[in-house]
Amino acid sequence: MIGDAVARSLRSPQVLISIGKLFVNAAGSRMPDVQPDLLTDAVARRVVAACPTSALKIDEDAGRTHLILNYGECTGCGRCIAAGGGTLRYAEKVTRCGVSKQALIRSWDIQGRAEVVQDEPALSQAAEQIRALVGRALNIRQVDAGSCNGCEAEIVALTNPYYDLERFGIHFVASPKHADMLLVTGPVTRNMAAALKNAYDAVPSPNLVVAVGACGCSGGIFGRSHAVVGPVDAVIPVDGYIPGCPPTPRMLLTGIVQVLRPFSLRW
Amino acid sequence: MTVTLPNSEADRSRALDLLGAANTRLVSIFGSTDDNHVRYVHYLIDVNGREYRMLSSPVTGSIPSATPIVPAAAWYERELHDQYGIECEGHPDPRPLLFHENWPENVHPMIDDASHVPWAEGQYHFLRVHGDGVCEVPVGPIHAGIIEPGHFRFSVVGDTVLHLELRHFYTHKGTEKLFENTPVMDAVMIAESVSGDNCFSHAVAYCQAIENAFAISVPPRAQAIRLIGLELERMLAHIADVGALCGDVGFTVPAAYTARLKETLLQASTRFFGTRFWRGIAVPGGVTRDLSSAETGEFGRMVTAAAREFAQMARLILHTSSVQNRFESTGILTAEIAKQLAVVGPAARASGIGLDVRRDHPTGRYRDINVDVPQYTHGDVLARARIRIDETAISTHLINETLKELPAGSVLVPVPLSGSADALSAVESPRGELLYWVRIRDGKITRCHIKSPSFQNWPALPLAMLGNIIADFPLINKSFNLSYSGCDR
Repeated sequence: MIGDAVARSLRSPQVLISIGKLFVNAAGSRMPDVQPDLLTDAVARRVVAACPTSALKIDEDAGRTHLILNYGECTGCGRCIAAGGGTLRYAEKVTRCGVSKQALIRSWDIQGRAEVVQDEPALSQAAEQIRALVGRALNIRQVDAGSCNGCEAEIVALTNPYYDLERFGIHFVASPKHADMLLVTGPVTRNMAAALKNAYDAVPSPNLVVAVGACGCSGGIFGRSHAVVGPVDAVIPVDGYIPGCPPTPRMLLTGIVQVLRPFSLRW
Repeated sequence: MTVTLPNSEADRSRALDLLGAANTRLVSIFGSTDDNHVRYVHYLIDVNGREYRMLSSPVTGSIPSATPIVPAAAWYERELHDQYGIECEGHPDPRPLLFHENWPENVHPMIDDASHVPWAEGQYHFLRVHGDGVCEVPVGPIHAGIIEPGHFRFSVVGDTVLHLELRHFYTHKGTEKLFENTPVMDAVMIAESVSGDNCFSHAVAYCQAIENAFAISVPPRAQAIRLIGLELERMLAHIADVGALCGDVGFTVPAAYTARLKETLLQASTRFFGTRFWRGIAVPGGVTRDLSSAETGEFGRMVTAAAREFAQMARLILHTSSVQNRFESTGILTAEIAKQLAVVGPAARASGIGLDVRRDHPTGRYRDINVDVPQYTHGDVLARARIRIDETAISTHLINETLKELPAGSVLVPVPLSGSADALSAVESPRGELLYWVRIRDGKITRCHIKSPSFQNWPALPLAMLGNIIADFPLINKSFNLSYSGCDR
């Protein structure tokens, strides 16, 4: 009956998502985005009050008021969108994937009703070396340092026939000794801190570390726990951050690729 | 569902008597403190398979262990000691459970200040198996695949496993403590992050506990949408598990096939509910998303189509001789051991123990419908695969029936933001019986205990493994598919 299963599988539809529709697309991410032309001081204060984490903040500096959105702390609960009356919407594009910790944070000038534009951070030396060394063939060792398993569920989805990350020459490997990149999820628990450090030490240089999910980027809702050390960068150095709770497969792929910056994903 | 809350010393011995009876099942043991910092132990027991009964008593000094009466109590009592410093006299294995050697012995986070705990350097002692040719195989905490962390210590002679010791709680995040002082409307986010692939079950169990505490009637339409989410989550889990079982015997074609079907359902969720795993949908008082009548038809067709494809592939899988050879009589969990360890969920039903919260302790929409509970007796990998295949079909049926008669009306009612009460709630998650017990004071959670099916079932895995070859471990482990984070919390 093996032949029957194979025959049945061969008849299944082609579902591979084309590259043009893959990157940056934020469907299902639940991440918010701001419509700057609708932004007012009252709305900004309302959405900040609605945020149960500290992802949204008001920053007052030299007479200007800014609305700050840190994707690294956002769990996508949607309360700001409910409170924002159209000023905040579910993002159609998420470009802040695989970026520096600083670039996870966006800022809008409320009086000027415009986003404060940041420079795209320079590529890290390790990323340039790996790009020169291996081209697009990237071996990833995934480490769960204390995650709820939500991020793992989405990382596993990268291998399904819709996303098929092997088409880009990206593979998941079993040993850190075979890896170019550690893809680390979770708030790092006390009980996983030593194992994460050991795995990191086993990865040959040059290497990259990517922190995944709200917990991996900022500690998320678990950051204040007695059993948690903190975000991934509290234990090992991190080159790129992928926000989301959990990040969708599209966000993960965008982030993994963006760390190497083979082409510019503009924001 | 009946909950009694008498508070006397006598209730503890009554609980131990009750646990020794044939018609009872241990559901959970956990601790709490009252407003005067007095510690309590709570025994949650299922009587006659139809009624949850809770017996609670204050604790001064040590208490007699329930583990000699019912082995299922072992991990609960170790957790009780780690969290509350309550000694259980006569416990056969009083080693720390939640905390590893980095944690000082005398810090109990539910009663002590745990904000700045120093790092300790203790040692953990595995049970040693002695004899000619016995070797130990350590596996984990980091595993070869994209899986959660945990440690398995095998003692083997040749390929045959003589003993398997689990060492878990690598993902312990102090979650129950994090609930403390969180407003009732916010804490649902913590519940959603206990076990990421069962997040909707956790969210609904938490929300129902709040609604029970404040005697809130959730609108029928919200109850129906919750049922759809719970059954869809079960389908996703079961379809993925059957595919992964095929992957573990090297049959990769059905593994890729089922991964596609699972993704189809996740994308249907995205399209109609804006979320892949149903996060942010359940809130105390109802749900945040509704379906239009046009959407119900299309959503139902997508679910039905995926389920039909899965059923056809499942039939081919079960008729494949190499699959039969690997699944049959592998990793047998006997009914007797399953009963002693109070195993729940698909693993129980595959070992002849027909437990299902949806039928036995129904809540919400489940009160109005009949749920078929499939049951097998062999307790092997094949039986656990069959349970998942059968239940996927049943969940599809339940979703379609619910979509057909979706009640009219709103999907959300307000919840009081202040108030004080204690309450319990149960849900049949894809992995089995999931319970939340909450204590609310002035609109904030002061204690939340989570009885997770994985915490209950993990101790059964080593016993199903005995006498099997170590190469079958991934398959046997996957056939239980327990959550690490859900267990470790």
